[in-house]
Amino acid sequence: MKSSLKNMVLVLFTITAVSALLVGLVNNITKDVIAQTEVQAKNEAKFKVLNTTANEAVVLVDEVTKISDFEIVVSTVAAKEDNNRILGYAVEAPSITKSGYGGRIKLMVGFAEVEGVVTLCGVEVLSQNETPGLGANMTKEGNALEKSMLGKNPDELSFKVKKDDANGSFDSLTGSTISSRAYANAVETAYAGYLKAKGLLDANAEGVSGATNTEWNEDNNVTEEEK
Amino acid sequence: MGKLQLITRGILKENPTFALVLGMCPTLGVTSTAINGMGMGVATMAVLILSNMAISLIKNVIPDKVRIPAFIVVIASFVTIIEMLMKAYIPALYASLGVFIPLIVVNCIILGRAEAFASKNGVFDSALDGVGIGLGFTFSLTAIGAAREILGSGAIFGVTFASDVMPLLFILAPGGFLVLGYLMVVFNKIAKR
Repeated sequence: MKSSLKNMVLVLFTITAVSALLVGLVNNITKDVIAQTEVQAKNEAKFKVLNTTANEAVVLVDEVTKISDFEIVVSTVAAKEDNNRILGYAVEAPSITKSGYGGRIKLMVGFAEVEGVVTLCGVEVLSQNETPGLGANMTKEGNALEKSMLGKNPDELSFKVKKDDANGSFDSLTGSTISSRAYANAVETAYAGYLKAKGLLDANAEGVSGATNTEWNEDNNVTEEEK
Repeated sequence: MGKLQLITRGILKENPTFALVLGMCPTLGVTSTAINGMGMGVATMAVLILSNMAISLIKNVIPDKVRIPAFIVVIASFVTIIEMLMKAYIPALYASLGVFIPLIVVNCIILGRAEAFASKNGVFDSALDGVGIGLGFTFSLTAIGAAREILGSGAIFGVTFASDVMPLLFILAPGGFLVLGYLMVVFNKIAKR
């Protein structure tokens, strides 16, 4: 079709207007559904990291705490049977001092306490944007990072990758040291958040105000962003 | 041109990756594993068929001088809508393909076909062209992904057969260029016969 100023302006205006209208319309329809699926996925992860399901357990409290201005959500998960016996805590935490290739990594980490000993009993990657085939392998079951921490007591772990520090506890993913560093950092943050929230939760339960058994020194985590 | 030829042409003679050398950015970016390559190919095919059809429908009302911006707006809207619908109603599929969807907007194959084919042909033929080019793209990306996965991580479609002994180079960008180059040579040698 031959172009004239009038028909160019008219056609482009119509096309952009119709497109914007359609995109807006679809966004309106889908945004609630999308938000809902995200919340649902997060809830499922809470149970999964404590090796249970929504049928067998409930979330009692979502305690929000802050570490270096980042929100850490610590959820108390309890069994439906046994009079709400506490199974453990699911902690949603981002990597703070270290980023992966594609920004921060967000993990859900499960902590269970048996006779006073804390165990890392599960981990799920909530969001990551790492290279497919390399860093993105952190989402696979039984990867090297997962293996280096599951079933261990976080007090005895050093949240470094072995490549950086001979005492580090984390085997890095092949060819993805940067992603692995961020992952280890997210686990460290989760544990810090767990300790902090646990102190508050216990204090509330015993009716003692201000008491805290947090061993975490917040200043330790506020280092310059490493590139 | 026969209807079947419209499809086979996209796979062989006008294979977008190996013959036309279009869409190199997603090609090199996502082919670190075979399944990722296939995912990108299928997602692109879906958008390509829809955008080809839409553009062949409105081709007669678009003034020549503004056809490119008009096509881009149509394609970008399609991609955004597909992404939102997928995220809302098929989250499992979105989890595995989601990262590729926004990349499709900047894939020049889509714009290339809109310009070279859909803006001159009917709706049905344009859809078939989308199928053909889409299959060609899927085939190429899967082939590159498979080669890189075998050479780089000793696995195929996620099934590992030789872990930690293969050169990691093939998963990284330089390996992508190497595999693409050699596969292009092989493909053109065979296809030109």
